[in-house]
Amino acid sequence: MAEAMPRSEERYALEMRSVSKRFPGTLAVNKVDFCVKKGEVHALLGENGAGKSTLMKVLSGLYSDYTGDIYIDGEKRLLHSPNMAKEYGIGMVYQELSLAQRISIYENLLVGRLPKKNALFIDKKKAVAEAKELLRQVGLEHLDPTMDVSEISQCDAQLVEIAKVLGSKPKIIVMDEPTSALSSEEVQRLFGIIRNLKAQGLAIIYISHHLAEIFEIADTVTIMRDGERVDTLPISEVNTESLVEKMVGKPVNNFYTREAHEISSEEVLRVEDYTRWGFFHHVNFSLHKGEVLVICGLAGSGRTEIARSLVSIDQINQGKLFIHGKETHFRNFGEAIKGGIGYLSENRKLYGLALPQTVQDNVLSCVIDKYSKGILYNPAKHTALVQEKIDEMQVYPADPQRQVNSFSGGNQQKVLMAKWLAADVDILILDEPTRGVDVGAKQTIHEAIRRFVKQGKSVILLSSDLPEVVGLCDRAVILREGHIIGEILKEGITENSLLIAANGEGEYVK
Amino acid sequence: MNGAQKVDKRKVEINKFSLIFNKLGIYVVVLLLIVAGVILSGGQFFSASNIQSILEASALIGMVSAGLMFVVYSGNMNDMSIPMTMAMAGMLTVQFINLGFIPALLIGIASGALIGFINGLMIGKFRAHPIIWSWGFNLLLSGIVRVVWQGKQLYADTVAKPTEFAQRAANTFYAISRTYLTSFISLMAVVMIVMFVIAWFIHSKTSFGQKLKIIGTNYDVAKFSGINCTKVLITAYMICGVCAATGGIFFSALRKTSSYENGMGYDFSCLTTVLLGGVQLCGGKGSVIGAFGGVLAYSILNNILSWIGLDTYSKYLVQGIVFLFIVWLNTYSNRKLGKA
Repeated sequence: MAEAMPRSEERYALEMRSVSKRFPGTLAVNKVDFCVKKGEVHALLGENGAGKSTLMKVLSGLYSDYTGDIYIDGEKRLLHSPNMAKEYGIGMVYQELSLAQRISIYENLLVGRLPKKNALFIDKKKAVAEAKELLRQVGLEHLDPTMDVSEISQCDAQLVEIAKVLGSKPKIIVMDEPTSALSSEEVQRLFGIIRNLKAQGLAIIYISHHLAEIFEIADTVTIMRDGERVDTLPISEVNTESLVEKMVGKPVNNFYTREAHEISSEEVLRVEDYTRWGFFHHVNFSLHKGEVLVICGLAGSGRTEIARSLVSIDQINQGKLFIHGKETHFRNFGEAIKGGIGYLSENRKLYGLALPQTVQDNVLSCVIDKYSKGILYNPAKHTALVQEKIDEMQVYPADPQRQVNSFSGGNQQKVLMAKWLAADVDILILDEPTRGVDVGAKQTIHEAIRRFVKQGKSVILLSSDLPEVVGLCDRAVILREGHIIGEILKEGITENSLLIAANGEGEYVK
Repeated sequence: MNGAQKVDKRKVEINKFSLIFNKLGIYVVVLLLIVAGVILSGGQFFSASNIQSILEASALIGMVSAGLMFVVYSGNMNDMSIPMTMAMAGMLTVQFINLGFIPALLIGIASGALIGFINGLMIGKFRAHPIIWSWGFNLLLSGIVRVVWQGKQLYADTVAKPTEFAQRAANTFYAISRTYLTSFISLMAVVMIVMFVIAWFIHSKTSFGQKLKIIGTNYDVAKFSGINCTKVLITAYMICGVCAATGGIFFSALRKTSSYENGMGYDFSCLTTVLLGGVQLCGGKGSVIGAFGGVLAYSILNNILSWIGLDTYSKYLVQGIVFLFIVWLNTYSNRKLGKA
């Protein structure tokens, strides 16, 4: 591990010295030194489970039982509650938006400190003026602060979130995956604001899995692995390979290389005139044996809805579904799984895994009926299968009896993948199978997908991660506003062609 | 990469004692209560008559709890229609006593199954709020019972026609709560234990139990794993209804009266025992063996309160405090585990 950082004369906005945080059974953060200068964008990198979220939670005052010293502006501070952290100038911008949807922007911005009139009534005029000033700082002067949060776009909401944090006059702002819900133009808007804040002397801690963003916005980068700080470097001294190597702990070959594999002309799935009113209309496409088909479309194009209808979670209004050439209608998802078609949902926490249960319970949750004898069910008999699948997915630690919520996000996602491998279906719909996971887990999942299609099974992939799509897919159909508008064959698939086509333009659009 | 060979340096030991305590949980409490009982009763605790009274007291509440356990485990908190399910089963059994004891018994139990079916359909399929729906349904049932029988109480021996067959059925009905297999083990307690054994089997050995575990933890995850949630939840509520009906029939037999008041308070006292037994209020965690321990602890506590000489009103007070404490503990430990 890296040697301890010397305490320099230079004044840091934040110094965390030898900070540790222990959970029952794990030492999540182990004697980490982490220092951020004023006017600096400091990226914090690491795989899922490396301890960066825990470190940031310590900083936000969520744990009162951490060890080590924290200095803010050179003064030693105890961060034992979120209020203390806020008072000492730490502002957290959370990944999941923390705004109340149904109330107005100014009430959200000034929550807990609305200006009062006559000690009893709220001074709305003053509040709106204050809110306007905060919005101006994040470039949202055109927004009316009396509008409800639910009326503004997700990008604006993310910026309002930052404005809300600015309202408490922080010295240090922590941004945890602030761009996960933003388009590339919106990301540029956000970066403009970050540069602006930086110029005002604020220290910004930036957490993201998108390495390209890190290179664009960060000045310094700290890499964590297994709860320890690996290194802190100026951004000019690193490149993608060296960063990934430090994160994973060993060299990583380019994981987006494509391997040629056989695709037979045999059709395993075909939909005709598939329509669910308001979501997708007259959709036609087919899937071949051994193929990875990507349904490419922007968020809101209806791709998740198509997937849900294919497995009968939602019902269609018209159209036909053919599985292996035979017209099929599943009455519910259970029948679809028995019919050989599975669906890995995009939202692991809500729809994917029963977090407080064991890996074994989760991996076998799709096949309870299949492995039952009459009404009897004995999970102990299938431990070997579970072990095989989680070994295949390199789940770590590979213990089938461990509760899923004790795993890191990346390993949870691997468990979810293992669950669908255990379901023994030959058509698998994967909806954002690598959302929010680190490079190592991503690579494992990609390898699993490749092995899966090599066995002559087929995959429908829905993904916003363009390099992933390019690396995996054999053919793409372009979905826009619920209509299939084009198709790109393997040779034509590049990040650019996909992006242009998804926006309804370019040569591949019919 | 080969992640499985990585050594996690961060893993540290969990206190073994706390794990053991966690597993045994409620039985440690039962043991402590027994010790307290022996001391407070001056050695009378293990007398035949006291054991008999503990078993009898625990029998009715145990029968209902064995079924309620499935509803709590399914993540639906409580079945508020338990009181009227019990009352209804008692009323129907007595009303149909002229058909013979066994047919009357079956009708009573069937009424519980039907009530459970309706609950399960509304909550499992149409996603009605489990508390509000079952509470409202309880009100509706209480209306039905009051209108149909005009608010009257029923007595098996007066409802039965003066034929020998009917009178014998009525006598059998009264006898079920008064039969002892040896000098002090009552039939009721045996039935309760048999019900718990069946419940344990269903819960831990069947595919239904496994599916209920996933549903109880997260309904949407279960749905997105292809589990037929409607079917499983209807089954869970039907088990609960059948158990409550059985409890209601024994209750009527014990009191020699069927009325709309039978079963009052059983919704919360049974929930207390289930939660005492370590079943999580938010579902998916807990065991039948634990719930049985909860029943034992609850009845021994009640027994001890009698030895202290607490009057009925004060008992209500203690029961309320125990219930609130258990609910707090249940939610608190959940928060500690990061679930709520």
